[in-house]
Amino acid sequence: MTRKLSLTPYLFLAPALLVIAVFVLYPIVAVVYYSFTDYNIVTPPEWIGLKNYQQLVQDPIFWQALRHSFTYLLVTPTLIVLCILLAIVVNRKLPGINVFRALYYIPVISGSIAVGIAWRLLLETNGLLNSVLIWLGILQDPIQWLAEPAFTLPIAMLLTTWLGLGYYMMVFLAGLQNIPEELYDAALMDGCNAWQKHWYISLPGLRPQITFVAVISSLAALEVFNEVFILTGGLGGILNSGVTMVFYLWRQAFRLQHAGYASAVAMALLAITLAFSIVNIRYLERGTEAD
Amino acid sequence: MAPAKTLTLPGGAARRLLENFFWYVVLCLVASVTVVPFLWVLLTSLKGPHDAIYAVPPQFIPHDPTWANFIRVWNQLPVGYFFLNSILVAVSTVVLNLLFTSLAAYPLAKMKFRGRDVIFYLLLATFIVPPQLTSIPSFVLAVNVFHYYDTLLALIFPSLATVFNIFLLRQAFKTVPNDLIDAAKIDGASELRIWWNIVMPVIRPSLATAAIFTFVNSWNDFFWPSLMLHTRENMTLPVGLVALQGMFASDLRGVAAGVVMTVIPILIFFVALQRQFIRGLSGAVKG
Repeated sequence: MTRKLSLTPYLFLAPALLVIAVFVLYPIVAVVYYSFTDYNIVTPPEWIGLKNYQQLVQDPIFWQALRHSFTYLLVTPTLIVLCILLAIVVNRKLPGINVFRALYYIPVISGSIAVGIAWRLLLETNGLLNSVLIWLGILQDPIQWLAEPAFTLPIAMLLTTWLGLGYYMMVFLAGLQNIPEELYDAALMDGCNAWQKHWYISLPGLRPQITFVAVISSLAALEVFNEVFILTGGLGGILNSGVTMVFYLWRQAFRLQHAGYASAVAMALLAITLAFSIVNIRYLERGTEAD
Repeated sequence: MAPAKTLTLPGGAARRLLENFFWYVVLCLVASVTVVPFLWVLLTSLKGPHDAIYAVPPQFIPHDPTWANFIRVWNQLPVGYFFLNSILVAVSTVVLNLLFTSLAAYPLAKMKFRGRDVIFYLLLATFIVPPQLTSIPSFVLAVNVFHYYDTLLALIFPSLATVFNIFLLRQAFKTVPNDLIDAAKIDGASELRIWWNIVMPVIRPSLATAAIFTFVNSWNDFFWPSLMLHTRENMTLPVGLVALQGMFASDLRGVAAGVVMTVIPILIFFVALQRQFIRGLSGAVKG
């Protein structure tokens, strides 16, 4: 292998690396610095040492946000199970199956803001859900779905799940279609029934996709913002019932002008996503290289 | 498909018909879950002042259908600007981002040079950094350094290069045979020519995948645009939609009309490019 020192590869990389350096690498360094300062974005940051972190560990809302973000991770296993089942269903060669695949994909394309507002119209006190439930005799009086603290987070998680169904279904569908037909034939010869066939052939065959979905959807769950923002009207829900890590970061930085404190929240978020990803990234890397 | 093979028994046709019927029922049930919210919004947007939004039993079909809600929204908010801004940002982001990331992905896939692994792992590491984490310094940069707060440039600049696309395209470049590149080198082509004339055409399907995903992400992006865009005329659709929701808080028909107006164009785009969407996905996961 001759290693000729040529400028060419660096010139190819330069524009993209410059952008990433300015908009990703520099901000990471800056956030670390801001987290040790008192900073309101308008006046220059003032060094205060560990004060933000001391405040952070004593901040009940921060712990609440942390708890909510961890709870939010339940979205990941839910999505994996639902989407594998859905992919198995839409993998059947039925006439018109493409129409159904497309229908399931509509929420993905429409985006969380439009879909979130659509959900609000259903969940309003005088929305469709209440009128259907009262009509069916399940409810006596309308429920304030969006104002009830106990419902805020579950509804947001349901919305996230609903938004992701189509996308992750397609991921698993693509995976299913890569599994060689002969494996299923062999399983049938060995006397597997329909369920066993999927358990012994489809699930192991979908391993790379399961890893991919686990990584991507758990990162997305830890970073959730839009759903909470829309469903709570930007307020985070009554008694902070919908406040997640990113929502708290956003409120501290851009609503309360506590950019220094928000940076400490950001550092906590970074630590969590890092810890969470280190194991997963290895798998993702292996999946990438194997191909 | 495998399941059908078990059913080629005598009398299997009837059983198969029954089974298919069962699957259609399942498919329709799931479809109703994904489609009903949109259908309700669409019907609400067409309701006149005498149609009930809330009634027991619920009223689905407007008795008094009208375009008035759409006209009211259109007149009170610069929805046309929202569209133009969204298109402008999405298109320029896609074009420039693909240019930057495919340039960067090529040497990572096909050249040997000092620091390649360092750069690769550095990029991989940034992949897991939550994008919102960088928003605080990015905000400061936008206001104090680049002075593009409240302009569309604030949306385009930070998305000129994304690590996801670099990895996706690097993966695509890796599948290009080395012989093809070597042959061009012997013919005396420069690296830049090889990249543009030889290798880029080969990975066109992956470029299409990256383009579609980048477009949809840009179109639906909210967090950063909502921080940057302040003046109504400068807003993109999701930011404008939230402004509309605030403005029409007590006018559910107007809110519904706004949602319909923003969702329909992207759905048309999706239906037109559905094949590429679905084919592209299998490629995206491998990468």
